[in-house]
Amino acid sequence: MKYALRKVGLLILTLWAAITLNFFLPRLMPGSPTDAAIAKLSQNGPVTAATRKAIEIQLGVPDGNVLEQYLQYLKQVVTLQFGISYTFYPQPVAELVSQALPYTLILVGLVTIVAFVCGTLLGVLAAWKRGTWLDALPTLGGSFASAFPYFWTALLLLFFLGYVFKIFPTSGAYGVTNTPGLNAAFLGSAAVHAVLPAVTILITSLGGWILGMRNTMISTLGDDYVTFAEANGLKPRTVALRYAARNAILPNLTSFGLALGGVVGGSVLVETVFGYPGIGYLLLKAVTNQDYPLMQALFLMITVSVLLANFLVDILYGVLDPRTRK
Amino acid sequence: MSTEAPGPAAPSDALLSVRDLSVVYEPAGADPTFAVENVSFDLRRGEFVGLVGESGSGKSTLGFALTRLSKPPARISHGRILFDGRDIASIDSEALREQRQGGFAMVLQSGMNALNPVRSIRNHFFDVFKAHGHVPHDRREQRARDLIGKVELPAATLDRFPGELSGGMRQRVSIALALSLEPQLMVFDEPTTALDVLVQHAVMNTIRDLQKSEGFTAVLISHDLGIVLEATERVLVMHEGVIVEDGPSSQILSNPSADYTRMLLSHYADPRAEIVSLPGFEDRSIRRDQGVSRSALASPEHAPTVVTRSISTAQESIVVKGVSKTYPPPRRGEQPVRAVRDVSFTLEPGQSLALVGQSGSGKSTIAKMITGVEKPSEGSISFGGLDVAKLRRGQLRDLHSNVQMVFQDPYAALNPLHTIEYTLMRPVVNFTGLKGDDARHRVRELLDTVGLTPVEQFAAKLPHELSGGQRQRVVIARALASDPQVIIADEPVSMLDVSLRAGVLALLEDLREKWGVSLLYITHDLLSARLITDNIMVLHDGAVVERGETAEVLQRPTDAYTVALLDAVPNPARAHGAT
Repeated sequence: MKYALRKVGLLILTLWAAITLNFFLPRLMPGSPTDAAIAKLSQNGPVTAATRKAIEIQLGVPDGNVLEQYLQYLKQVVTLQFGISYTFYPQPVAELVSQALPYTLILVGLVTIVAFVCGTLLGVLAAWKRGTWLDALPTLGGSFASAFPYFWTALLLLFFLGYVFKIFPTSGAYGVTNTPGLNAAFLGSAAVHAVLPAVTILITSLGGWILGMRNTMISTLGDDYVTFAEANGLKPRTVALRYAARNAILPNLTSFGLALGGVVGGSVLVETVFGYPGIGYLLLKAVTNQDYPLMQALFLMITVSVLLANFLVDILYGVLDPRTRK
Repeated sequence: MSTEAPGPAAPSDALLSVRDLSVVYEPAGADPTFAVENVSFDLRRGEFVGLVGESGSGKSTLGFALTRLSKPPARISHGRILFDGRDIASIDSEALREQRQGGFAMVLQSGMNALNPVRSIRNHFFDVFKAHGHVPHDRREQRARDLIGKVELPAATLDRFPGELSGGMRQRVSIALALSLEPQLMVFDEPTTALDVLVQHAVMNTIRDLQKSEGFTAVLISHDLGIVLEATERVLVMHEGVIVEDGPSSQILSNPSADYTRMLLSHYADPRAEIVSLPGFEDRSIRRDQGVSRSALASPEHAPTVVTRSISTAQESIVVKGVSKTYPPPRRGEQPVRAVRDVSFTLEPGQSLALVGQSGSGKSTIAKMITGVEKPSEGSISFGGLDVAKLRRGQLRDLHSNVQMVFQDPYAALNPLHTIEYTLMRPVVNFTGLKGDDARHRVRELLDTVGLTPVEQFAAKLPHELSGGQRQRVVIARALASDPQVIIADEPVSMLDVSLRAGVLALLEDLREKWGVSLLYITHDLLSARLITDNIMVLHDGAVVERGETAEVLQRPTDAYTVALLDAVPNPARAHGAT
């Protein structure tokens, strides 16, 4: 309990530090969005002070000194007011993000968890049945599949299953005739649209989990407590799961935390290839259109999700490994 | 015994009959080797038998085969293991698993690591009860408490995780777990080797008491003939995969039949005795009275390795004055650790001094402070009049060329990727400034000094091609590369087989007698301290509790801790009523 409280404290502290950095970093950069706009305008002729004022008002240049601005910023972050997007003017950034987030979280997040669970189980099996086909198949197959670049696998699947055989839609998150909401037609369509990106992520990430788990498990299988458990005649299932796998999973949890943290920020490639309207797609749009409010909100999202994922794994570690609780 | 012979009939009260058992190691890409070859013996019910041999003798392989725990690349290739009349060498895995309850149990060498770090001690017991269903649900808690009590641990231990227990406690827990199977046969594989001297003694006593009260048949596997002779009634001596001697302990002690057993026995002596002599080592008092060196009285195979130097190597003394070392508390709210408390001594040029104590007594911390790795919290250490803690970089380099360390673990002290020549070239080039052929010539000299001949062959070898004793000689050669005045040897022989120890000790002794190198010998082994040191200091919890001439202190100890250390030395003669 004390361990968890300390981790919560640490989370709040790092969150605050990240948010503060997010505020100060752009202010340390030379120039401002206003200067950039004026520089463009001045190519066509002289810019008056009134024009400058108009641009500043339009962009929402803050009043007061840095401290006041900082407090104002903190308040806006807490109330999720990130301003208006340039790209999707006049939609508020918060609205855009909240529309995109579920797609990314459900697609990439869920698939990452599924890949971890499946990969780990396959890795346990491979190590336990070392040297048999149950070892060779997932190990070789996994490393073979994950050796391809992600986008190549994606394009391959898109080409065959999307264009040639037309089994799955080639882009988007749901059909054009569906209205997003809790209706059967939309949910069915969304599920079908998610299959190709999900399968691609699964194929390319599964191998890593299988190999990671298999290797740590093989090393724990050689540990003395496993030999001793066998000497005490524990059931093979207990030895494999409660003794060997239970210890082997610990180092892999760290990689899982990193993978989870990367879900929001790392979905750019998936969503671009499949035209999937999630956070990654939004980020690409924001960067290419120099949409500062949107970018700032998305970067903050990415930071927060990495911190949250690490926090969750820390807590999980505390539950699973008594040695960390001290 | 030939493979075809049916073997003698088992005695009627035999619990275990092993017939023509062979275990082969079949590593991938290498030739198979037999670790155990055509071994036959019987164990009667209730017997306590010792299985002794040096590393590589096949004793542990045999122990793992007896309990059917052999794992690839090891495989039982031949023979029968009749347990209670049933051949367990060939039964299937589920039958074998069921047989482990009420059958045979094993306690592993590394009891420290035999427990699952993420499972509480209680769950370890419950796992065993669940696997065999031999303890009803409502009796499990009580049964676990009884068992943990039998190994003299409090019931609260059940709530703990392995990481919260000391090594000795963990080994006790694994003994209790093995007991929970209610076995008829218990195999203990080096059960106390990884433990501290005093803890070793206490755990061995528990094992002996349990064997008497529970009445199981026990096999004690150990490299230490002393421990085995003291604990058991009958001893099997193994050498190169074969049992070379099998007889009652008292008979093996007084009248061994195999040369190998005699050789092993010759390396045991009571450090408390009036005269302590081992092969190659006449007692120091005899040498002193006759005014001769070790090698003068030794037989040819223990001949000297170094040639006498006309000028004594060591010219300066190490003076340790009122030194204390305090480490900050390991966790917040705990007491700071006082590793060394107010220790003073002087190591005169060419003198030998033993620092004795169990782990945690502060002896290695003192060595670290002398070499400047750690700085004393109080007091001062000086070498040749200079304060070690205040040396600048260049002076520190001079100190290191004059004061060299020999470490405990010769397996970890050498980089496995480098040849012996390369390993020795580094300090030669760094400290003496010799280059090219001159440096290579110096390396050959060093190898010759430590008795690794022919030097050309040894220079080209990699560490894994050498035995433990040879590796330790390389480590000593490396320490000699800078022609130091002082050698600090930290448990240099504790990881070596007894037959290899004498050679390394003789080398250290010769370096002191013939070259005049000062020796600070750090150990928990009182016998070797008696052989190669003039003076001794006994450390307990960082403080000196007793000091004086080695022979005098060991024969007539005054401090209770010194007495406890001496009592922990196995004394087979006393156990079997012989002299």
